[in-house]
Amino acid sequence: MKKPRIGSFLSVVLTLLAVYALVKWGIPAVSREVTTLPFPLPVPGTLMFFYMVLTIVALFLFVTFSEEGLSDFLKPVKKFLRGGYTKSLRAVVLTAIPALIGWQVYEITVPKVEVPSSLRIQHPSSNFPKSFEAKKNPFSSPTEAEVDAFIEQAKANEVVFIPQVRDDVERWVDEIGPDHVLEFFPVAPMMKLLAQLQSGDVDKETAKAALIEKYLFEGRALYAMNCRACHGDSVAGDGPMADGFKLRPINFADNGTIETIVEGYTFWRVTNGGPGLPNEATPWDSAMPEWKLSLTEEQRWRIILAEYNLAQKTPRMPESH
Amino acid sequence: MRTTYKCLAAFGAALAAIWISGQALAANMPSKSMPEVTEALLEKGRGIYFGRCGFCHGLLGDGEGPAAKYLDPRPRDFTLGTFKFRTTQSGELPTNEDLFRTVSRGLRGTAMQSFDSDLIKTGLSEDDRWAVIAFIKTFAQEFDNPELDPVRTGKVISLPSNPAPFSAETVAKGKAVFEKAKCWSCHGKLGRGDGNKEFRKDDWGFPIRIRNVTHPWKIKAGSEVADIYMRFTSGISGTPMPSFIKSLNEEDRWSLANYIKSLQHQLTSHQSLRAKPVEGALPESPDDEAWNTAEPMDVRLAGQVIAAPRWQNPSVELVTMQALFNDQEIAFRLTWDDPFKDVIHDETKAFNTNEISKVGGFNSYVEANGMVPRALETFRDSVALQFPVKPPQGTQKPHFYRGSSSDQVHIWVWKADQDAAGKRGTDEGNARGWKQRIKAQAEDGQQVTGKASWDQGRWTVVMKRPLQTGDKNDVQFKPGVFVPVSVNAWDGSNGEHGLIMSLSTWHYVFLEAPTPISVYVYAVLAFLIAGAVGIWLTRKAEHGDEDEPVEAAV
Repeated sequence: MKKPRIGSFLSVVLTLLAVYALVKWGIPAVSREVTTLPFPLPVPGTLMFFYMVLTIVALFLFVTFSEEGLSDFLKPVKKFLRGGYTKSLRAVVLTAIPALIGWQVYEITVPKVEVPSSLRIQHPSSNFPKSFEAKKNPFSSPTEAEVDAFIEQAKANEVVFIPQVRDDVERWVDEIGPDHVLEFFPVAPMMKLLAQLQSGDVDKETAKAALIEKYLFEGRALYAMNCRACHGDSVAGDGPMADGFKLRPINFADNGTIETIVEGYTFWRVTNGGPGLPNEATPWDSAMPEWKLSLTEEQRWRIILAEYNLAQKTPRMPESH
Repeated sequence: MRTTYKCLAAFGAALAAIWISGQALAANMPSKSMPEVTEALLEKGRGIYFGRCGFCHGLLGDGEGPAAKYLDPRPRDFTLGTFKFRTTQSGELPTNEDLFRTVSRGLRGTAMQSFDSDLIKTGLSEDDRWAVIAFIKTFAQEFDNPELDPVRTGKVISLPSNPAPFSAETVAKGKAVFEKAKCWSCHGKLGRGDGNKEFRKDDWGFPIRIRNVTHPWKIKAGSEVADIYMRFTSGISGTPMPSFIKSLNEEDRWSLANYIKSLQHQLTSHQSLRAKPVEGALPESPDDEAWNTAEPMDVRLAGQVIAAPRWQNPSVELVTMQALFNDQEIAFRLTWDDPFKDVIHDETKAFNTNEISKVGGFNSYVEANGMVPRALETFRDSVALQFPVKPPQGTQKPHFYRGSSSDQVHIWVWKADQDAAGKRGTDEGNARGWKQRIKAQAEDGQQVTGKASWDQGRWTVVMKRPLQTGDKNDVQFKPGVFVPVSVNAWDGSNGEHGLIMSLSTWHYVFLEAPTPISVYVYAVLAFLIAGAVGIWLTRKAEHGDEDEPVEAAV
């Protein structure tokens, strides 16, 4: 039989190191390659523990398989203990190992000072009422009756706006003196509607698109008045109040926020705010108001319409059951 | 040949210089100057303005949009042609690049945020920003007059060509300039904006806030040395901030900017305050030297925007906390900047919140001016510490905004008027949510003591209490336990009272516990046992196996 080139003791030590390195660095490195995510998958501490125990058991079996193997393994150990690798090395190692053990015992027993940390679930569903799941934003698809009413208002040049924008619109009309109030909208559907009003031939699709523009205008004003202070006019969760909150306001422009949820869910969150969250979402840290205490359903839906528009996102479609 | 190399080298150096300067100014400067103004550009700008700007600045550009009344500072009125942040001489119009910089970077601490698509996802591209700027310029006639163009008339200010680096020397020079130019007469001796004894009003009669230059997150047009230099070189139009271009030379202004930079507060970032144990009595005075040994924790506060009456113009945005304890008591010291000492409280001037608290009302925010008096001698300054009554289960706590009906908080409210009148400064109470008033504790349950002082635009308040009380409605402190704590603050002359205030979310205070002696005993024991085993094995190896042939040393 060919003699192994390195002793069995060294092989054991090297095997242990190799397994440790593989679990510690190898798995995360491979996981990055496989998942192509910019961060490695985490390796739990228990996984490391199990792999190391299995390795040690296997190595123990390997070494103690024969008398010869065991004495082969113990030979360098005994030589070390007899001072065969110089006595000073023996003294250093025999001090270092107990010191290491003592330090480990200290680490385990010393009381830890760690801020209680909480895992937070961003979109809890445990108390999300099913009735909200299929709710649709009434302002993103106005009914025929609403469109007809809007056409009548537009024809009479008496378009009714929500009170919050009325003052600004009236001052614009007084100053500019336009032929039609809707002229302040520099958007295609509204210009098309104005042209059709002039020619007297208004089609409902154009009127509907124009009406949605009107709702968006109102929604953006309500957003600027109510939500902007925290979520910012960038809708990136960076409003002037944002630095004061430990849980930063949500960034709507981020992938993975409002575009991953159905409109009904957004409405539920706006309606019930932080206090409406279940415990897994740490409601005690959330500054999100219960907007049902201040805003009507119509105001909330207008804001949600504007919110998705400003973020350049669309809500997830409800699953049909 | 030689000439070719020289040319190449020069070309390379020029490229490098352009690249380096481009890196430094990327966020501030456009890559090209404003395009020629055409109907198409203005129409594009009008569309962007309508979608992004009008809600604050108004359809007419007069700064009267739907959200304007609730903001301080108010959105700019573009029709006046008066712009605060310029690189042009006092009273001049801004350059196109000045407007570009403001739109791109935003104005920190205000509702005007960055619109640079490199900085925010929903931002505007450079072309879009130029388009909206071209449109904004149509609001003021002044921009049509070529004789008022600061570039044409040579009224643009440039930065010093060879400025001295930031150093202890330039800072010391700048301090002397600060004294000489009497900057302190408005900004205060320590720069906290406390130089004036009363409010100054702007042209519309709104109170002017003098900048606290130590809070960089509030310095609107940038907190770097070059930004600061430009502010007092150009002056801030429409405000009492003058231009110092004539009264101070370039070197002095640069030194002054260095000094102002050196005053900026560096925020701590930890969320947990470590209280240290002390021997003997705890300090009751805010100026006691014992406080110098206590770790500070900066707590950021936001306006109370969670429920009506919502308030987005808070005065106190930073409170620094410290804590010390002994075997009997715990003492907190709270420090925050406030330019006016408000020790009068007139409850009859309190805002009736009913009108803005209805569902579907016009707005649930308090207007920046007009709804509540923002004047001296109206409301008191105040600060409060809030703790959960029940020790937290896991991470579960009461809501940071005054708890809830099922989970009450214990709140210690220090009131400047009571303190100044020589009465007990701090009242203890309990709250079960913001909908109800704080319920004062019984007189014999009031155990918080301490002193307060106001000096050079800064309040310092001490609150001291026994670690443990017998009261079931009180928070209890014990070494080794994390106790959640949050802060509320009111600046009376900013109109703040009741729920019109600033508040923080939960932080922690942790009373350091001594390490139990057993920990050391176990560690030493483990070391000794392992050492003994080693020696025993050595002995065994040296004597026990003598029958085996000893190998010759290699």
